[in-house]
Amino acid sequence: MLVFALFPLTGNDYLTVQLTQYIVYGIFAMSLSLVWGYAGILCFGHAIFFGIGAYVMALITKGMIPGFSGFITSGWIGLLLAVGAAAFFAFFLGYFLFYGRLSGPYLGIVTLALSVIAERVAVNWYYIGGFNGLTEIPALAFFGWEIRGIRILFYFVLAVALCVYLLCDWLARSPFGTILAAIRDNETRAEFFGFNSANYKIATFSIGASVAGLAGALFATVTEFVSPTILGFGFSTEVLIWVALGGKEVLVASFLGAVVVRMLEAFLSDILAYYWIMILGVFFVVCVMFFPRGIFGSLLSER
Amino acid sequence: MDFSIQILNGLNYILVLILVAMGLVIIFGLMRVINMAHGEFFLLGAYTVVMTDHAGLGFWPGLFIAPVVVGIIGMIIEYLCIRHLYQRFLDTILATWGLSIAIKQLVIVIFGPAGLMIKPPLPQLVSFMGIEYPAYRLFIMAVALMTIGLTFYVFLRTDFGLGARAVIANRDMAAVLGINTRKMYRTTFTFGSALAGLAGAVMAPLMSCDPQMGLGFFIPAFLAILVGGTGTLAGVLVGGGAVGGADSLISFIYSPVISQIVVFSLVIIVIRIRPQGLLGSRGRG
Repeated sequence: MLVFALFPLTGNDYLTVQLTQYIVYGIFAMSLSLVWGYAGILCFGHAIFFGIGAYVMALITKGMIPGFSGFITSGWIGLLLAVGAAAFFAFFLGYFLFYGRLSGPYLGIVTLALSVIAERVAVNWYYIGGFNGLTEIPALAFFGWEIRGIRILFYFVLAVALCVYLLCDWLARSPFGTILAAIRDNETRAEFFGFNSANYKIATFSIGASVAGLAGALFATVTEFVSPTILGFGFSTEVLIWVALGGKEVLVASFLGAVVVRMLEAFLSDILAYYWIMILGVFFVVCVMFFPRGIFGSLLSER
Repeated sequence: MDFSIQILNGLNYILVLILVAMGLVIIFGLMRVINMAHGEFFLLGAYTVVMTDHAGLGFWPGLFIAPVVVGIIGMIIEYLCIRHLYQRFLDTILATWGLSIAIKQLVIVIFGPAGLMIKPPLPQLVSFMGIEYPAYRLFIMAVALMTIGLTFYVFLRTDFGLGARAVIANRDMAAVLGINTRKMYRTTFTFGSALAGLAGAVMAPLMSCDPQMGLGFFIPAFLAILVGGTGTLAGVLVGGGAVGGADSLISFIYSPVISQIVVFSLVIIVIRIRPQGLLGSRGRG
């Protein structure tokens, strides 16, 4: 974290802007880590929540939702509603899925199909920009003072990341987190101890989704742009890869996974072009086979 | 547009979907491996045909080479990767998914991201029952029906099929009774991949072959086996019929996009209400 905090002082504005974006991805990765690594819910459509957050943020701040005007279109309300909307959707989805005892591959395929549906809907819904998405999303304002400066935005996002980390870490260490681990490792046994595993899963799913929604909303303000690709299957794939490579059972590892993969991508995709994704795919397979706990996950847990 | 032609087109889609889904379901039923790279095997089958066509050999040799090539690729993948992951169910999903990304990208590297067309192998129309219908589509249906029939024959009438069904029913017991599960897994994976390769090859002349086409078949095929139930082969027929039929019908009435959204949503609801599938029985999770 300290390394990150010092980064803008190097004075390279372009890289600072890029890194701000990567940290947003890192927050998103942590949300998946919570859902997947801690509660064992393999979700192939996590980008849905990220996308919901981003779109809600965009629509609110651009004043495009009927009945919302004036004060309520501020970025902070947008942020709040983005988180709320993602959590709300996840709650209903979770209620629908987990009480149906869907788990493992079934859940994976269902969420995969959902992410395809979400992307299709967003592409064909012209009010929210259709294929082209929405642009010119206003920046966050703090008492009329816009957080638009490159460094200020960077520190703001970094601070949010830190808060999210602390919150998730606290959650994972709490009794709630212990129960989650029990459900992940042996659901039947956890139920025999009297824990309603579906409820715990729904709760975690919603919390994870709200964090993803937060990341999405931040993404919308940072890049000032949302498009259907951030809802869809491809982006869900990417975040799974970051988290798996980093280490799904360790929050910091997932965060680093996202940031490092994106950084490498920025540097290497110029040199390797199309080969980059291929190498990433192969690397992912190797990592799943030989480092099931992820690269940073293995490193961090040895200490 | 003539309605009976739509029915035939729908039937066409259903049969190819069943072909893809059947490869998936025997791999899943037997090995408990969800092969996320199955759509890419379909893709490889189609591109094998594209390659033979561009090499001047034409479509027909490609049709025979494609299942063999894809089968061999499947065998290599099983040997290098999947074999090591049999005890780790969720990891096989991730690993095959990584493979699917890598294969798709390899295809993009070699052939470029744009769609490729091949010459129609049977351009003539056949007229029967008062309608004109492309001969090639009838050919696809015949191939699909034959392959489906053959697969059923293998699984229901041969010693290998008996062993395979024993493994599906109770893997440990089958192993105790002296069935070489390792060998069976390899054969199954090869066979399943070859089926996807064949499906890709026969579909290649009908669609423009682009690197994303695998996913377009993988998801409906997977939803089909979930709808039908994973425990039996017959479930694939029901699931493929339901998903493919609904998709064809709704895209005829409205549009392909709406149909995809509606069908996927409906399937999710069906899976939620009957996780064991329409034909499955409770008992096996």
